[in-house]
Order: sequence, then C-alpha cells, then structure tokens
Amino acid sequence: MQRDKFFKEVDNLHHPNETLVRTHCSYCGMQCGMNLRVNTKTNKIIGVEPRYDWPVTVGKMCPKGVTAYQQTNHDDRLLKPLIRDDKSLKGTKLGFREATWEEAYDHIVKNFQKLQKDYGNDSLSVFSGVSMTNEKCYLTGKFARVALGTRYIDYNGRFCMSSAAGGFLRSFGVDRGSTLPWTDIHETDCLFIAGSNTAECHPTSMFRIWNVQERGGYLIVADPRETPIARRADVHLDLRPGTDLALANGILNLLIENGFADEEFVQNHTNGFEETKELVKQFTPEYTSEITGVAPEKIIRAAELYGKAPNAVVMFARGIEQQHKGVDNVSAYTNMALVTGKIGRAKSGVATFTGQGNGQGGREHGQKSDLLPGYRKITNPEHVKEVCQFWGITPEEMPKPGVSAYEMFELMDQKVIRGLYLLCSNPAVSAPNLNFVRNAMKNLDFMVCSDFYLSESAEFADVILPTVTWSEDEGTVTNLEGRIIKINKAQEPLGESKPDWQIQVELAERLGKGKYFSHLKTARDVADEFRGATKGGYADYSGATWEKIEKQDGVFWPCKSEEDEGTPHMFLDKKFYHPDGKAKICALPYRPPAEEPCEQYPLRLTTGRVVYHYLSGNQTRRIQFLRDMCPEPYVEVHPETAKKYNIEHEERVRLFTRRGEAVYKVKITEAIRSDTVFVPYHFGHKESINLLTNPALDPMSRMPEFKACAAQIEKQSIKKV
Amino acid sequence: MKKRLYLELENCIGCRSCLAACTQCGGHEERNRNYVYDVNPLVNRQTMPLMCLHCVNPACARSCPAQAIQIHETGAVLSALVEKCIGCQNCTIACPYGIPKFDTEQNLMYKCDLCIDRTKDGIPPMCASVCPSNTLQWLTDEEIEAKQKQFNLDNGKWVTSLPFLESETNVRVNLPGILQGVTKLF
Repeated sequence: MQRDKFFKEVDNLHHPNETLVRTHCSYCGMQCGMNLRVNTKTNKIIGVEPRYDWPVTVGKMCPKGVTAYQQTNHDDRLLKPLIRDDKSLKGTKLGFREATWEEAYDHIVKNFQKLQKDYGNDSLSVFSGVSMTNEKCYLTGKFARVALGTRYIDYNGRFCMSSAAGGFLRSFGVDRGSTLPWTDIHETDCLFIAGSNTAECHPTSMFRIWNVQERGGYLIVADPRETPIARRADVHLDLRPGTDLALANGILNLLIENGFADEEFVQNHTNGFEETKELVKQFTPEYTSEITGVAPEKIIRAAELYGKAPNAVVMFARGIEQQHKGVDNVSAYTNMALVTGKIGRAKSGVATFTGQGNGQGGREHGQKSDLLPGYRKITNPEHVKEVCQFWGITPEEMPKPGVSAYEMFELMDQKVIRGLYLLCSNPAVSAPNLNFVRNAMKNLDFMVCSDFYLSESAEFADVILPTVTWSEDEGTVTNLEGRIIKINKAQEPLGESKPDWQIQVELAERLGKGKYFSHLKTARDVADEFRGATKGGYADYSGATWEKIEKQDGVFWPCKSEEDEGTPHMFLDKKFYHPDGKAKICALPYRPPAEEPCEQYPLRLTTGRVVYHYLSGNQTRRIQFLRDMCPEPYVEVHPETAKKYNIEHEERVRLFTRRGEAVYKVKITEAIRSDTVFVPYHFGHKESINLLTNPALDPMSRMPEFKACAAQIEKQSIKKV
Repeated sequence: MKKRLYLELENCIGCRSCLAACTQCGGHEERNRNYVYDVNPLVNRQTMPLMCLHCVNPACARSCPAQAIQIHETGAVLSALVEKCIGCQNCTIACPYGIPKFDTEQNLMYKCDLCIDRTKDGIPPMCASVCPSNTLQWLTDEEIEAKQKQFNLDNGKWVTSLPFLESETNVRVNLPGILQGVTKLF
C-alpha cells in the first residue's frame, strides 16, 4: 500500500557474513526505514544499509540516521548499574561505583520505600520520554500508577509535542499529528509550513516538499530565519519570534474577506465561524504586519496562494508550538484548513512534524500526567474505571492527575517531590531555565536515572541503570503520520544492559507489586497487554498486531479490530471527534510573547536544532561524524546587529537573559532577522542555551516558551593569549 | 538498464548526509570522498555538493604516470590502486573539480569510485540512496532526459541544463535555477 512514484524496486547490497535487520531510525518522528547490518560471526551491529522498500522514506536518511547504528557498540555505553554513595558529588560525573543489578535494585527499593513511608506515595516522581516504544511508554505509566502509586508522572513531550496535542484536541476533538499520510504531501498544490526548519529537523520530508514546487505548486514558509527550506519558498513570511498567532489570524481574515471560505463545509461541519470571523477582522494586513514585522504584501500573497490552491496542507512544528500560546497557535493555523474546507480529503489537511521518534504514540498511552492508555483521561471516571478493570486495581487505587514536566521541577524545589525515576530523557539540557532545574535535581533526596550513556542528567543521580539502545529490543513506535511501525531487535543487549520494560517489571516485583507485572516476560507480552489496554480509547491500537504492521507497511490508528486496516486519512467522512461531530473554528485573541524585548534586553532569542544533532545531544554528540560537523553551539547574528555591538564572525560573546548567561561563538548571517538571535539547543553544561530560556508555560499544554524571550549581547573584553 | 548519478543542485539543503553515507559503503575505509560547500555562508544557507563527475576521458587518469587510476567498464573512474599509486598527486592538480583527496600518511590518493561494489550490480551508490532532498539521484538516461527537458532553460538569464559542464561526464548535472522553468499550477 501507499507505494508512490518515488518507490523503486531495488535490491540491497549483501556483504558476506552479514545479515540485514529491517527496522527504523532511533531519532525523529520521520522514523526512516533502515536496515542494520549485523555480522553473523560476532552477532554485532556493524553498519547501515538503506531500506529502499519503506514507502515513506524509500531508503533516504539524514546524517543522524546514517550514523545511528554507531550508538549501539559505542565506547561510552553504560554496561553495569552504577551507585554513588557520596551525595556531595551530585551534578558531576564523579563518585560512581559499579554494582550488581541486585544491589542496585535493593538500593532503589529501600530508598523509594523510605521516602514513601516518610512523605507519602506522591513524594516519588517519574519523568520519562518518547524516544522509546509504545510498549515502554505504556508500561512506564502503569509502573508509576500501579507499582509506585504516585500521581507525579510526566514526560519530555511537554517540551516537544504537547501544544500540538492540545490544539488538535480543541480543534478536532482528537490528536493525531497528521490528518493524512506523508505519501500525499508531494501531491498537494500548496504547502503552508510554519515554524518548521524541515530541511534540518525532518530532512527526509524534503524530497516530497521540493516535488510540490517541481510540479508547479507553491511553498509558503513562516520562520524568523531564512532556513534552507525558507530560502527556496515562494513566499517567506519572516516573522518576529512569538507572533504566529497574529500572522495566522491575519491570513484567516484575508481568506474570509476574499471569499475563500467554504461556506457549505463551515456550515455543516464546524462550529465557531462567526465569532472567529469577527475577531480576525481587526487583523488587517497592516495591523498584522505591525505585530509580526512581515511586509503586508507577503501576507496578502500567502493568503491568496493558500486560498486559491485546490488542495493544500498546513504544516507546523516546534517554532509555533514552543510558545506560551502554542496551543492557540496550533488552533489558529488549523483554522485556515477548517474555514477553507481543505481537510478531510486526500492531499489536503493539517500536520505537525513530530519531533521525537515516538512523540505521537508516546503521548497517547499514559505517561502524561493526565492521561491513561488509549488517550483516556484520568479525570474521566468512566475512563479510570475501564483502565482499572484492565489492570486489576480499584478506582480508589488510581492516583489523581499530576502536574506537567516543568512543574515537577518546581515541586522538587519545594520538596513536595523528593525522589525521581528518570528515563529516556535529559532534562538537565532540554528543560528551560536550567539553573533552577539543575538545582532542583541536585536537591532531590534520591534519584534514579536509566540511560545507555551517562547523560548530563545522570550526573545528578544516586543510581544509574544501564538500559538498551533501540536496536537491542523490539516493539512498536507511532511515526509522525500516526502510522504504527515495528522496531526490530538486531543485537543482544550490550554488557548487562536491560530494556526499560524489564527493569520496571523487576522493580515492581521487588516493590511487592509482582502480580500486576510478573506475567510480562517478553517485549511481545508487553505489546499484547498494551494493545488490549488501548481498546475502546480514542487512540485504539487493538487491531494493530505486529503481523499486520509487517504485512501492511505499518498501521494507521485508529485500528479497532483484526479486520480493520487502519485509518491513513482522518475525517474522510467529515466527522470530527467532538460529541456533535463538528470541528471547532477557534476565535483566538492575540497575546505577545511572555517576555518582550526592552531597553535592557533588546533582542529576541529563539532556539532550535541543527541537522547533525538530536534533542539534548546525549546521543549525537558522541558520534564522531556528527560531532565533527557541529562540535559546539553558536549564536546566529545578523550583520547589522553585529555592527551595532561591534562584534565579528567567530568572536566569542556573552549572551544573557533575566535567567542566565552563556558564552557563544558568533556566526554572522543575513539569514536571520536583525532583531533576533538564534542558538541551537543540543549542548550541555555551560553551553546550554536553556540556561537562558523562559519557562513561561502555555495555560493548556504547559509547554514552556523556548522559542521567544528577551536577551542581550555583551562583547567580551579581549584577552591577549 | 544503465543508470547514472544525476545531480540537481537546486535541491541541496546542506545536510551532508551524502558525506556520512560515503563513509558507510563498506569499501571506503570509512572516509568520505565527496564535498559539500556553503556557497555564501555569511549571507544565506545555499549549499552544493561537489561530487566526482566520472569523466569519460578523465584528467586524473590521464595525468597519472603510474596508471594507478583505472576506469571500470561501467564508466566509473576508480580510486587509485594501492599497489600502483606513487603519491605524486598529479591527479589532484589535474582534476578540474578538485575531487581526488590525498592521504599523506599512506602516500595514497583516494577518490569516489561511485560505490563500485554497489553500482556494478545496479544498486544505487550510498550518497544517492540516502540523499533526503533528491539532490543526488540514480536515474536512467530516459529519466535524466525528461528531467533536463522539464527544466530546460536558456533564456539569456538562466542556463540550467547543459549537456556537460566541461568535457563529457558519466554523471549529469542540473545547475541551480531549474524552478525558473516550471509552469505554475495556478
């Protein structure tokens, strides 16, 4: 299915004494298909071979994907559990000693039980991530609620996908990151892409995106920087960071004014049009231009192109979502599709570029503070009842909703949370306002970190558990299309490392909760329980068996039974998931960023990725090729701004905000607004830009405003060598 | 059906996946043999790959006093034979594109061999296999001709499709500017 013009029948190169294991990349939401080359004598992963047969990416990989296999047998792998007895060394790499699993488990159980006895169940917390399989994400939620009995579980999707989730839930009543499969993208007539540096963050989308232009279609890009994709766009809306809501309202106003609204669709399938129409009236091109800094004629042209296009897709990413109005931004851009009726059919729709490998699936199955498996709400008694019945606990035993990722650090600081089990995440680099966050982690009574490398966050742990990489376990992941795919095991776990699901089962047994976990002996056992747990939820995976995934090249959720082939296109029947079946067009008044530039901090600081690194860089900074290509962060400055500060290319300057400071090498470029500076966020310790970023949270998604805050540059005094 | 490496420079996004992939072909000693340049780094993000064009009458091979650079029957201009290369570096000077690299420790030239282990059996080279932007493609002559027709531009302002850049090459190139020749849908 879904084999398109880019698909070619190509054989792979088979080297002697090697087998190829079909799987997907460990990194972003594209989940590019790849074959891992395994030496049949040593049974070790030794390389990569393209997977031409994967319909989404047809063999293509970015430099991270090409070198991803080098993680598995890397010298930095943690091979044994580590314990640190001297708490004064927290926040450093020092003082760890090797231990047996038994000793590590005993140490953890003793400390967890003591904290819960002294301060209650909720004194423990779980902070997880979505670079792991659905099965692990599911079990982490169950582990927190059933084995630990704590309300405090949340995950790094709060720094990534939660605004998209919130916006889609409000607009559509359901949160599937893309309403259409990626194999539709090159066939549309107009792409409107906001806040996505696609060429660097989701490079293997680019051959489809360029093909829209090659066919004579249009590409519109909204970004404060002239990124590689913006450079070739038909219209580049070079807006000020944090002003997306005004831009989206301005374009919607023009679409309505110029007769591009689909009245029949609006009437029959949506609510909220009149109210929204009234609200956006004030967003004339001139007024929109005043707020966003984008020339009025560009706004007019963009609206005209999107309006005229027979089919169009609106796409966005963290640029619009990592704001304290991220949810509003998502709904506002989604309004464009709803008002013009360009949704609920092939080649038209709305999509977010999911950041993490399993950013989609990982947010659906209960490791978010307010969610349970299958996208059930922990605040809905019916949902709680269903899940409790499945797990074999009583509704009284189900913990209440917790708080979001950043707020957990606030509770650690207040000593409400005293213990932390951290897995699959590196908040000591990825959280905002890092001086505060690192201090909160340092002051914990007890912290366990599960990882395959000693991350910056692991430096705060009392116990480190060595876990496996993606290539040493199997399970499912849901890619950015909403397609459930299968990750396959290519090698036995290195050293004594174990998969996180196994660690959780073994810990649960030692915490006296074995009866809820002991039956899970293989990844497949967890998978089968997980599918059952989603049955009847919005995100129903119950029909997505591993066999069906293999046979169909993945299964799009919802997939409710053995016979159900899944749902590549959402809303084809024009039925949305709100109780009345209608989508919601949202009237969203503009709000500026939480922190606007002022005399003291006159610049706008925004952050993002480079193509060579992934998230906190804990993985990619260790890969030689990627480190060679981008060894350190830098600050992008427009030449006019550089002149004003009397700073030069490659000079080191002090960049600071109200929360923190760092020293960066200057990269002069005309490809950025002169009122804006940019720093990539993949770096640790003193190089982390998140020392400076603003933790202002979106009121709905609790997403911090990584993408816009006020900053200042200071020239360093020149030191003679 | 014979396929060729085809470059569409307009598409390059500077991800350098081709460089990473070059190290992974299995026969390349994990050293990359191609280049990606920032065209105007202080101004914009334009980048372009510089690949061996596998000349039909290659200057590198002609300039080699030791006949260390062999031409494969597929037309691929191979890397220097270890046993023949005398390390004179004539080839690095002779090549109009600056492709051959030199390993001073081994006193040996090395260059793109078009992943000969793959392409001799019709498997695309690693760079063109992974290229996320379709800057590098592995196409039949018919496909390349269709591309060059589609993007044909010689309007006094843009020239995007030339038969060859200099002398005849096995690799075909479309220069930046191809979109100037596209008829818009609406």
